[in-house]
Amino acid sequence: MGTYILKRVLLAIPTLFFASILVFLLVHIAPGDPVRVMLGPVQDPALVEKLQQKLGLDLPLHQQYLIWAGNVIKGDLGISTSVQRGAPVGELISQRYGVTLELALFALLIALLIAVPTGILSALRQNKPSDHISRVFALVGISIPNFFVGILLILLFGVVLLKSWGSGGFVPFSEGVGSNLQRMFLPAIALGTSYSAVVMRMMRSSMLDVMGKDYVRTARAMGVKKSSVVRRDIVRNALIPVVTVIGNSIGYLLGGSVVTEMVFRLPGIGSLVMNAVFRRDFPVIQAVVLIIVAVRIVVNLVVDLLYAKLDPRIQYTSTE
Amino acid sequence: MNRDNGKAAVQERERHRGVILEFWRNFRSNALSLTGGIIVAIFVVMALLAPLLSPADPVKQFKVSSGMHNPLPPLTSSAEGHFFLLGSDKYGRDILSRALFGTRAMLRLAVGAVALSLFIGMIMGAVAGYNRGSWLDEVIMRIVDIMLSFPALVLAIALLGALGIGETKIAGVTVSNTFKIMIVIVIAYAPRFARVMRSVTLQEVSEDYVAAARVMGASDTRIIVKEIIINTIPPVIVQGTLMMAETVLISASLSFLGLGLQPPAPSLGVMLNEARDYLFQGSWWYAVVPGVFISLAILGFNFLGDGLRDSLDPRQARRVKI
Repeated sequence: MGTYILKRVLLAIPTLFFASILVFLLVHIAPGDPVRVMLGPVQDPALVEKLQQKLGLDLPLHQQYLIWAGNVIKGDLGISTSVQRGAPVGELISQRYGVTLELALFALLIALLIAVPTGILSALRQNKPSDHISRVFALVGISIPNFFVGILLILLFGVVLLKSWGSGGFVPFSEGVGSNLQRMFLPAIALGTSYSAVVMRMMRSSMLDVMGKDYVRTARAMGVKKSSVVRRDIVRNALIPVVTVIGNSIGYLLGGSVVTEMVFRLPGIGSLVMNAVFRRDFPVIQAVVLIIVAVRIVVNLVVDLLYAKLDPRIQYTSTE
Repeated sequence: MNRDNGKAAVQERERHRGVILEFWRNFRSNALSLTGGIIVAIFVVMALLAPLLSPADPVKQFKVSSGMHNPLPPLTSSAEGHFFLLGSDKYGRDILSRALFGTRAMLRLAVGAVALSLFIGMIMGAVAGYNRGSWLDEVIMRIVDIMLSFPALVLAIALLGALGIGETKIAGVTVSNTFKIMIVIVIAYAPRFARVMRSVTLQEVSEDYVAAARVMGASDTRIIVKEIIINTIPPVIVQGTLMMAETVLISASLSFLGLGLQPPAPSLGVMLNEARDYLFQGSWWYAVVPGVFISLAILGFNFLGDGLRDSLDPRQARRVKI
C-alpha cells in the first residue's frame, strides 16, 4: 500500500509539471509579442518595458519558465493586465472561487441524488420497460447542453421566480443563506441534471458488472436474501468505481460551471476566465487554467488512493 | 504450403468481412441505433441542403410592420410579407434559415474535427499499443495523460484565448476561426482516441492471427495497417460517433461563450447567447429553436453510438439476474 501511494504521487508530479509548461507556453503560442498582445491597443512604451522586465521576456525560455513557476509556487500568480489592471491575480481568484465551488458541489449533490437511485433501479430491472425508460432519459439528459437546460429553466421558472428574485446575479453566503441558495438553485439544477445522466449510466453499468460476479451468485446460492445481497454486496461494491469516475469527471463539472456561470451571470472563476479571454488578460487565463488542472490532478490522485483503499478484494479477504 | 497460405488469406478476409457484417446486422436490429441513425441522417440532409431548404437568406434583415418589433414570434410575417415559420431574431432575420445554416456550419466543423482526431489518435494509439512497454509507448501515453489532465472545454477556452478570437495570422498564414476551433478540438480529443485505440490494439495484438501474420514474415507496418486497424474499425466507429456528439456539444458551448463563429455568420450557439437577453420578455422561440437543433443533433449521435456499442458488446446487453 505504501509503495502504491508513493508511486501514484510520483506519477502525478510530472503530469502537473508538464501541464504547467503547457500553461506557461500559452502566452508564447499567441501570435505577436506577448507584451503588446497583453496590453492591447493602448500601448504605453514605459509600461511595455516594465512588463517586459517583469516577465523577463529578454531571458531564454527555460529561465522565463523557472521564474514564472517559482513565483507560482510562492503563491504569486502574477498581475492582471486588463480584467482589473494591476490587481494581483491571486486576489481576483480568491474573491471568486467560492461561487464556483458552491455551484460545483451543489450540482454534484443534485446529480448524486438523482443518479444513484435511478442507476441502481435501472440495473436491477435490466431490460425491463423502466430500465429502458431511464436509459433513454439518461441519454436525453446527456444530449441537452447544460446551457440550454439553464435557459429552459429560466424560461420555465425564471420568468416567474427570478423576477421576484431579480434576474440571475449572485448573493454571497454572508449576506443571507436563504437568498444565496435561492440564486444558486437553478444554476445547480442546470449543471447537476446534465451531470446526473453521466453518473447514472456509470452507476448502472457498474451495478451490472458486480451483479455478474461469482461472489454474488455464491451468496444467493447460499440462501442470502436478495435484498440483503443487493444492499450489502452489490450496491456497496458498485459504488466504488463510481467514486473513481466521479473523481475523473471533475473536469466535466469544472468545464460545465464555466458555461453555467455565463448563463446565470454568476461571478465565479468561469466568468473570470471568460472575461480574461475576451480582454486577452494572459496572467489571469494562465492562473485559472493552472488551478483547474491542478485541482483535477489532485482530485484524481485522492480518488485513486481511495479506490485502492476501498478495493473490494481487500475487503472480501478481511471479512471472510 | 502455398495452398495453405491462400486458404489462410481467404479465411482472414472472411473474418474481416464477418466483423463488419455482424456489426451492420446488429445495427439494424437495435432500436436505439436505428432511431439515432435516422436523426443523424435528417441532420446530414439539412446540413447539405441548407441553401435549398432555407426560406430566406440567413443574414437578411427583414423589416417589421408598424406597431410590432423584433424578435417576431413563429407564424408571423414581416412588413415585406416574408413568413417566419419559426420566428425572427433581434435583427429581424429568419430563425429557421439561421438554424439550418448554423447546423451546416456545426456539422462541418464536427466532421472535420472528428476525422482529424480519429486519424491522429488511431495512429498514436496503434503505435503505442503495438510497441507496448517500449519507450515509444511510454512517451505517447505520457503525452496523452498530460493532455487528458485538462478538461476539454477548459483546454479549448485557454487555447482560443491565447490564439485570439476571429481570424489570426500565424506565421504569415491567415487562419480562420473555424479552423482554429477544429485544431483546438483535435488537440483536446485525439488523446482520448489514442487511449481507446491503444487498449483495443493491445487486445488484438494478443490474438492468434497477429502472431500468425508475424510468423509469416509480415512487417510491423503491414500488421498494424492490414490486420489490426481493420479489426478495430467497429469500436472506433462507436467512439467516433460518440465523439461527434461531444464535438457538437463543445463547439456549441464555445459559440455560446462567444468564442466560435463570429456574427453575423449563423451559429446555433451564438443564437442561444443572443436569446438570453430576450428570455424575460417571453421570446422563447429565439432560444428554443437553436437549443432544440443542438440537442437533437447530439441526441442523434448519442443514440447511434450507444446502440452501436450495445451491439458491439453483447456482454453488456446480456441479462444479468440475481
